[in-house]
Amino acid sequence: MEESSELPLDAKSEFVDFQWKLGLAVSCDGCRSLKLEGWPYRYVAVMLKVADHSGQVKTKSFEMTVPQFQNFDRRFKEIAAVIETM
Amino acid sequence: MAAGELEGSKPLNGLLNALAQDTFHGHPGITEELLRSQLYPEVPPEEFRPFLAKMRGILKSIASADMDFNQLEAFLTAQTKKQGGITSDQAAVISKFWKSHKTKIRESLMNQSRWNSGLRGLSWRVDGKSQSRHSAQIHTPVAIIELELGKYGQKSEFLCLEFDEVKVNQILKTLSEVEESISTLISQPN
Repeated sequence: MEESSELPLDAKSEFVDFQWKLGLAVSCDGCRSLKLEGWPYRYVAVMLKVADHSGQVKTKSFEMTVPQFQNFDRRFKEIAAVIETM
Repeated sequence: MAAGELEGSKPLNGLLNALAQDTFHGHPGITEELLRSQLYPEVPPEEFRPFLAKMRGILKSIASADMDFNQLEAFLTAQTKKQGGITSDQAAVISKFWKSHKTKIRESLMNQSRWNSGLRGLSWRVDGKSQSRHSAQIHTPVAIIELELGKYGQKSEFLCLEFDEVKVNQILKTLSEVEESISTLISQPN
């Protein structure tokens, strides 16, 4: 299993793969009800595979709320639009 | 003078704010002595301690259950009727506090329950890369994206990634699958 590891600032990695999972959190320790505005707490969990300068593949995982995910999507669309003009 | 009798709403409101910062938003350095000396200086420490614990307990119960207006009123009324409970003035302050801070506190609770890193920021630029002499193409646009990630209460770490156009489009396709999944989830009966 590839280990998740930190990459030093300024070291660029090449994107390899993007895996995702849409989750619903219902309850947790300290929070009986994880509803937010009537909805169970939805989140998008992402696992990125990246290759560092030596070619070694590492994974990095993180989570986003639905609004954060929508913002993420919007940013990528902006990037695609710019690339298209070049 | 007992803490319970000391009410103007200001000290209690300040206390609730500080408790929220400490309990939910992870603000460091909020001690019992700091709160007592700043907000309730005439109350002796041995009296302040149980008062603080009571208020913290009430706030945690309200936040944990995500009480709506009706539940909140019922809960606070019950607290005023209890032995060693709260006064109705205090209930009013707590009620007002929860209504205005509810969303932020709930968001912090969500963040605390997420043990993975969260996405704190994203910045990007597109470079027109000149390819090496071996490539047929001379200019290939490359997107450089910096993701700022961080776990609750920890410093950010930065991930700097390069994507060519093909990979950007691949991601867009994946993101639209996620979007579709989210829409399907919304439309399903709970």
